Amino acid sequence: MRKNTVLMTEGLRRDAGIFLVACLCGMASGLFGIGGGVLLVPLLGLLFSFSQHRAQGTSLVALIPPTGALALLAYARGGFVSWRTGLLLIPGVFLGGIVGGKLAEKLKRQRMRQVFAGTLFALGVWQALGAWWR
Amino acid sequence: MTFIVLLLGLGVGVLVGLLGVGGGVVLVPAMVYLLGMDQHLSQGTSLFILLPPIGLGALREYWKQGQVDLRAGILCALGMLFGAYGGSLVALPIPSRHLQGLFGCFLVLSAILLWRRSQLERRRTVAEEHRAHD
Repeated sequence: MRKNTVLMTEGLRRDAGIFLVACLCGMASGLFGIGGGVLLVPLLGLLFSFSQHRAQGTSLVALIPPTGALALLAYARGGFVSWRTGLLLIPGVFLGGIVGGKLAEKLKRQRMRQVFAGTLFALGVWQALGAWWR
Repeated sequence: MTFIVLLLGLGVGVLVGLLGVGGGVVLVPAMVYLLGMDQHLSQGTSLFILLPPIGLGALREYWKQGQVDLRAGILCALGMLFGAYGGSLVALPIPSRHLQGLFGCFLVLSAILLWRRSQLERRRTVAEEHRAHD
């Protein structure tokens, strides 16, 4: 009985922790107009010891419902949405995703992820310098 | 112009499928640099593109392999819904220049997290290979 209560509070603490981390990732999502998966996947792994596959699968669950809907409304109210560009990009992203998924099976995932991390790093430095170095 | 946007979507989609991350981190800088859009407008448009459940096919694959923690995923979705709204309220009053700089810093941070993750993963694979040889 006692053990059950301990397990339950531990489960609740884990749930609360996951919820809080998700709130944080959501903040980044609304702040930067992104999905939030880039942050959610490594954090689930590093903080809650999810395996890489389980972290990615769980992150996908969170990305299926339109979690960005409220944020999108806020941007739309400010006139910060280019509906035309968006509609033109959606089919490409969808089809490209299928091609990429097939390609991924043939390539070494870790190497790809490191190349991606390097690219993100360079892109980030470029963006920050471009904005402030003037 | 229309053709370039369609092609850009395809290119971003390939990256998404390849790396299993949301398209936003790639989409936002692409719209800023390749299409010459304003930072706020790019972020709003990116949120619009991420609205449909483009990860549904991928989720099915993970689900079949039992790599989904549904409870954690639902908690994450809830947290991100509210977090994203909060984030958008913070982002909208920030001048575009500073928002672009902050976005750059965020990319650098995600790159570091991603790199650490891939290092951990490599160590695990190497350890497993050793065990297989023994």
